[in-house]
Amino acid sequence: MERDVAEDKAWSTSAETTWCPGCGNFGILAALRQALIAARLDPWQVVIVGGIGQAGKVAQYAGANFLHGLHGRAIPHALGVKFANPELKVIAVGGDGDMYGEGGNHLLHAFRRNPDIVCLAHNNGVYGLTKGQAAPTSSLRFTTKHREAGTHMPPFNPLAAGLAMGGSFIARGFAGDQKHLSRLIGEALEHRGFGFIDILQPCVTYNHVNTAEWYRKRVYDLELESHNPLDADVARARILEWPAPGDDVEIPIGVFYRSRRPAYETCGRPGQAITGLEFDTGVVKKAMEEFR
Amino acid sequence: MSELSIVITGRAGQGLQVISRTLGRMLVRAGYYVFVTQDVMSRIRGGHNFARVRVSSGPVAADGDKAQVLVALDPALVARHLPDLAEDAVVVTEAPAELPAGMNAVVIPLADLAREHGEDPVMANAAAVGATLALLGLELDGTEEMFENQFAHKGNEVVKRNVAAVRAGFRAVEDDHKRCCSHRLGTPAHGLGHDPKLPGSFGHVPRHVLISGSEAIALGAIAAGVRVVTGYPMSPATPIVAYCFGHAQEAGLIVEQPEDEVSAANLAIGAAFAGARAMVCTAGGGFCLMNEALSLDGMTEVPLVLCVGMRPGPATGMATRTAQADVLFSIYAGHGEFPRAVLTPADAGQAFLAAQEAFRIAWKYQTPVFILFDQFMADSLWTVEEDDLRTENRQGRQERQASEPMEAYSYRRYKPTESGVSPMLVPGTPEQLVYADSDEHTEEGHITESAATRDLMVNKRNSKLHGIRQELGEVKVEAEVEAETLVFCFGSTRGVVAEAVARLQKKGHKVAMVHLRYVWPFPAEAVAGLVTKGKKVVTVEQNHTGQLAQLLLQEWGLRVDGIVRRYDGRPFTVGEVESELEKMMGVGNG
Amino acid sequence: MAEQLTPRSFESADPIAWCPGCGNFGIREAVKLALSELGLKPEQTCFVSGIGQAAKAPHYIRCNLFNGLHGRTLPVATGIKLTNPELVVFAEGGDGDGYAEGGNHFLHALRRNLDMTYLVHDNQIYGLTKGQTSPTSEAGLRTRTTPCGAIEPAFRPLALAVMMDTGFVGRGFCGRPRHLADIIKQAVQHRGFSLVEILQNCVSFNHVNTAKWYSHRIYDLAEEKHDPADRDKAYQKALEWGDRIPLGVIYKSGRESYGVLARDMTEVAGTVPDGAASLRGGDCPPLATSERTPALVDRLLANFR
Repeated sequence: MERDVAEDKAWSTSAETTWCPGCGNFGILAALRQALIAARLDPWQVVIVGGIGQAGKVAQYAGANFLHGLHGRAIPHALGVKFANPELKVIAVGGDGDMYGEGGNHLLHAFRRNPDIVCLAHNNGVYGLTKGQAAPTSSLRFTTKHREAGTHMPPFNPLAAGLAMGGSFIARGFAGDQKHLSRLIGEALEHRGFGFIDILQPCVTYNHVNTAEWYRKRVYDLELESHNPLDADVARARILEWPAPGDDVEIPIGVFYRSRRPAYETCGRPGQAITGLEFDTGVVKKAMEEFR
Repeated sequence: MSELSIVITGRAGQGLQVISRTLGRMLVRAGYYVFVTQDVMSRIRGGHNFARVRVSSGPVAADGDKAQVLVALDPALVARHLPDLAEDAVVVTEAPAELPAGMNAVVIPLADLAREHGEDPVMANAAAVGATLALLGLELDGTEEMFENQFAHKGNEVVKRNVAAVRAGFRAVEDDHKRCCSHRLGTPAHGLGHDPKLPGSFGHVPRHVLISGSEAIALGAIAAGVRVVTGYPMSPATPIVAYCFGHAQEAGLIVEQPEDEVSAANLAIGAAFAGARAMVCTAGGGFCLMNEALSLDGMTEVPLVLCVGMRPGPATGMATRTAQADVLFSIYAGHGEFPRAVLTPADAGQAFLAAQEAFRIAWKYQTPVFILFDQFMADSLWTVEEDDLRTENRQGRQERQASEPMEAYSYRRYKPTESGVSPMLVPGTPEQLVYADSDEHTEEGHITESAATRDLMVNKRNSKLHGIRQELGEVKVEAEVEAETLVFCFGSTRGVVAEAVARLQKKGHKVAMVHLRYVWPFPAEAVAGLVTKGKKVVTVEQNHTGQLAQLLLQEWGLRVDGIVRRYDGRPFTVGEVESELEKMMGVGNG
Repeated sequence: MAEQLTPRSFESADPIAWCPGCGNFGIREAVKLALSELGLKPEQTCFVSGIGQAAKAPHYIRCNLFNGLHGRTLPVATGIKLTNPELVVFAEGGDGDGYAEGGNHFLHALRRNLDMTYLVHDNQIYGLTKGQTSPTSEAGLRTRTTPCGAIEPAFRPLALAVMMDTGFVGRGFCGRPRHLADIIKQAVQHRGFSLVEILQNCVSFNHVNTAKWYSHRIYDLAEEKHDPADRDKAYQKALEWGDRIPLGVIYKSGRESYGVLARDMTEVAGTVPDGAASLRGGDCPPLATSERTPALVDRLLANFR
């Protein structure tokens, strides 16, 4: 379908962003838009499903169709949309509290089931919208206004969980490297299956440890290390590099692991939109036979 | 009664909450009653937030009509508040502003003062506090001590800089400025500690505190012996858990914020089963996720306190605003039938006492008890007399309701009794075993399908409601004036309704208020006693469908004569309740 | 007077509602054996279970028990352990209970590493509700809900546990109660979260993974001199399935338990969630017996004056 995709006016919206100046979300939103445009998609072909939190608001600002639902439930909502109309490009978006805390179970099973949707988890290691509580990815001993002694639990490693559950596309990006992130999102969009990206971002208001600078000093691109994403053993080693204790850490970004597995809804399901199907009354007639 | 109101406005991130609390505390210390409300957007920076501080020589529990002083941390916001201001209002701001005739601008370089003395532009808020106090004719006694107390955890440096900024703001107000402001406070002739009619011995000065509703709930729970507090972040309940986190070590609490609400509720149940007084905190949508756990609690008869905050719904609704639309939900939530109590405190003082009552009832009757509140009650700052904060059950000692000696391993957790309450032991009791089961169960606690046992257990569980009802006490008409119209309300609307009713009484209307500080078990008999023949009944509530009116109909067959509603997420104003009630009573009907 | 504990000491009078030949019987034998050999008295233990056939197990032994909701075992167990660290806490339930409904709690419990033992009866099917596919059902399994065969690959709890650096990861089989009892004992003695996956047959609804099917495939890791501290090896073993299925202690992370971490950080006795220095008792009294001082409320109110 021919259209001028450089028109990113098509992807704009009148909604006012309510993020703090300097928020990592701005970079992520920009990268998402770039990726959607580069994929030559029209806004009406895309559904963004957002959770609740500052990250989930991307659903409202991206300029596509959106369902802005409940905290932690973006993935089930996204699955529903995809089942009803597999022709749509469906993207689930939420923060780390949303995706890894409240929505942890849904994420776990999504890795396993491999639905053809993209999942962008904005990971800033803190609950922003509710003003600064520790989150599943906060480092051990992370202190907050009310928790001066720090947290007692080590941070959650979503990529590790993904690999264990057989995830088919496991990646990490950084809000501070928009170009790289945009490319990653593009790959996730192309991937047939659950395209998961953990996106590191600073929270200028509530996380004074993992700032943009802190990340910049530590991230490195896996591709530049000639990483082979098809090798599960190598992927596992890289995945376990971070989170890790201590300040002297290196954080790999890029595609850690990729595999070819059938996407969930292609297994024994009609490939077209349910909304387009005709209902055959003959089906009911035949079923009634059983009760005569 | 001398009084005035101050509106403070700014953007999220400018520290409005700090100013309103600091100013409020200083005014309470000066001898005034203070009531502070906050209007906050669901964002962290930018936007438009404001607070109202009402100062009076008598108790106040509602916003004033018009404000005499506007403190604008962002000059661009002045215009938005002009409709809120009295004709002779004073506006304290950085930049000169266009004001209607009669109003005066007091221009103080707040940001500069903040940078110079506080070394941080955010301390414009502290400078504003100083300036406001100066304008109103008050002194800065005790400033330093108060800041030490409030900001101790941020370190000496921050305290010093705040104090420096306050003093700088105070000094910046010159005589010219003071002449612009005709409003003065000074030391109240009648106020806290100065009223000779106040009870207590000669020289007794009652102490007052300025505290938010959520802090009062948390503190009340601590005073009542809570040990385990759980919750998942959700406005307006988050501050309760935050307060507990902050004082966990000092008060010996275990505070957990687990992966989701389902976990939070079940964790609290486990803790109480093992003998610790436990409380779970959430709001509307989060409580939806806890329905199953509530039902579990009813079946297993584990004592549990649930703090549920109301805000506009359905679903995510308006996170930082107020509503009273989950009353029926709280009463009927959780499938199956089992007893509960639902307390609806009006203000911080009642909230503190409600916490005592909640734990007492929960542990005496082994039942879930709700402290049902709303954002307005939780986030407003209330002046409370300390003597009113009576505590009970200070000790968290394991409740032992069976004192007779028992044979080894003979304990039956669900032994039927006349009251329906079985003697409760906790696991770890030497030579006894404790069973709890979500299935229907025998007296011991094992799974059963027996019809007879089922009947026995259903009757046992539900019969506890009778005892709970006795515990809750009376409901009465306030400031009775031979009323022909009774105005019913519950929860945080009490202050507004009381003031509106007082105004109407002054005008000669025969109207009085009945405030319900608990809605379940519904005090049908007490209500019946109050609503004698010929009286009209009106409810005032912050929801669309008139839930209190529905309760009156359901529980006692009473059809109300009118409902005053507001559900836009903002609290009622005294003026609007007054005029709506007047309309309902018929103009000139005295 | 110390009573000599035997497995019989842990038998309860509750009539058992499992099908004859159910794998749960073997697991029950192992549990009783383990408890008696650990020298624990019934009242020193607390079993928390969910809903399902497996979750009935605590009723059939003598112990304190909380039989709660489907999938909510771990949160309740967490609440109990935090409140009374002197109790030896077990969480017990089936695969649907633990990995479907309880998946999120499972994930975060692995991270929290609170001292308790989680026994998962894994029969790869929903038994109590009559035969639906469960998260651990193998791809291709035909059931009521998957007449054309299960589409999704199975949930991999052991692989997840190893990747989450879980304190103790072990696997047993209902047909080898002696071996299972040893795993359970080690799990209980480990300070921190211990996962014990227990493979079992379901005579009524799983006609593929029968007791015979398992007996042809299982082998003991101890015979291979497997080192449970080797994480890479452990991960491979966790994924091993099909012709060869390893049993035994798969992984031990050496991570500090939640309680020790919390205590080191707060250094205040009496607020320690889990500080038991030995299996029974410990340096932290149960919260139910703690006192509250009136002076505390006064101190806290001072911040509002």
